[in-house]
Amino acid sequence: MHISEGVLSGPVLITGIILAAAGTGIGLKKLDFDRIDQAGILSASFFVASLVHVPLGPSNVHLIMNGMVGLLLGWSAFPAILVALTLQAILFQYGGITTLGVNTVIMALPAVVGHYTFRGIVRVNPKAFLPAAFITGALAVLLAGGLAALALISASENFLEAAILLATAHLPVMIIEGIITAFCVGFLKKVQSGVIPV
Amino acid sequence: MFNQKTIVCLKLLLTMVFSTLLLLAASPSQAHRVTIFAWVDMDTIHTESKFGAGQKVRGGDVLVMDEAGNQLLAGKTDDNGEFSFPVPQKTALKIVLDATMGHRAEWFIPLSEIIGTDESAGATVEQSPEAPTPSPVTISTQEIETIVEKVLERKLKPMQRMLAASLQPGPSFRDVVGGIGYIFGLMGVAIWFRYRK
Repeated sequence: MHISEGVLSGPVLITGIILAAAGTGIGLKKLDFDRIDQAGILSASFFVASLVHVPLGPSNVHLIMNGMVGLLLGWSAFPAILVALTLQAILFQYGGITTLGVNTVIMALPAVVGHYTFRGIVRVNPKAFLPAAFITGALAVLLAGGLAALALISASENFLEAAILLATAHLPVMIIEGIITAFCVGFLKKVQSGVIPV
Repeated sequence: MFNQKTIVCLKLLLTMVFSTLLLLAASPSQAHRVTIFAWVDMDTIHTESKFGAGQKVRGGDVLVMDEAGNQLLAGKTDDNGEFSFPVPQKTALKIVLDATMGHRAEWFIPLSEIIGTDESAGATVEQSPEAPTPSPVTISTQEIETIVEKVLERKLKPMQRMLAASLQPGPSFRDVVGGIGYIFGLMGVAIWFRYRK
């Protein structure tokens, strides 16, 4: 999911940077004082999650955990993910510095969508928070794949082909992240239900 | 400021970090980072492509270009992530690996490495007319050269592989801990800024 340097064209990179900056601005504005600690810890979780590789499927895929970050943080997922991606780019050479904007949008936008999806489902049916968490976790990965494929159009890769490839490669990740997100939300609900946004 | 929410989140994070470290220790670490390594061997160029230090890139597109970016030839990596091809022309070469899904890596072979092989080939051709001197036991310079090159190649191959592997390290424990430290540091800065308001 991390797009490397030199793959994308200039306009796509610039669009990515602008969108990421806008998202980060909104996210920082919405980040309350008593949520800063949470954002930091979730950012760190996102940072390490990419080291957990899923040995299934045809390609080399790892956990993303953008659904979990988005579910708890909403718009503040943007700054959290931007920080984690920057450190991943510098320390692990995942992705690249010029593609930071695009990669942030690819992973943080689905996180925000996941946040509102979760809240929407829980509002309709307050008992369905576990399935809602599963859907959020899986949906965020699926949408990230879709956005990555969209960005790759400019790299002359066929959109449908890239999208299908990304979706099939991340199918095991979607399921695993759905389960992890549901597990975490179930745990938080029991221990500290105030953390979960409704 | 460290309310119960934070402590719960912290517990989750610690669980994740430890499970990650366990996984890192248990399996050869693979990264979402692609690298290609190429070396010149006589008049053939070998390439090796990997995701980090672990998994080989299977069926990735390898494009060979000259300095100006004109494509000279293209191929696909085999099951071992390797792809070899004859030197297409005497220019510096840029070898690009496109492992799909936005993964891309480059390797540059300077002109000197390619010319080096070519000169030795040229030299053998020039010297071979002198070689058939009337002594019956002498081995021609060309033969000696071939033998030396063969032996050297055999001896150097593991070194080249080792070098290639050392150029493609996965994320280390230090990187992971350092990154988490940075994030907590930034968190502290953010809290400081908000606190002053």
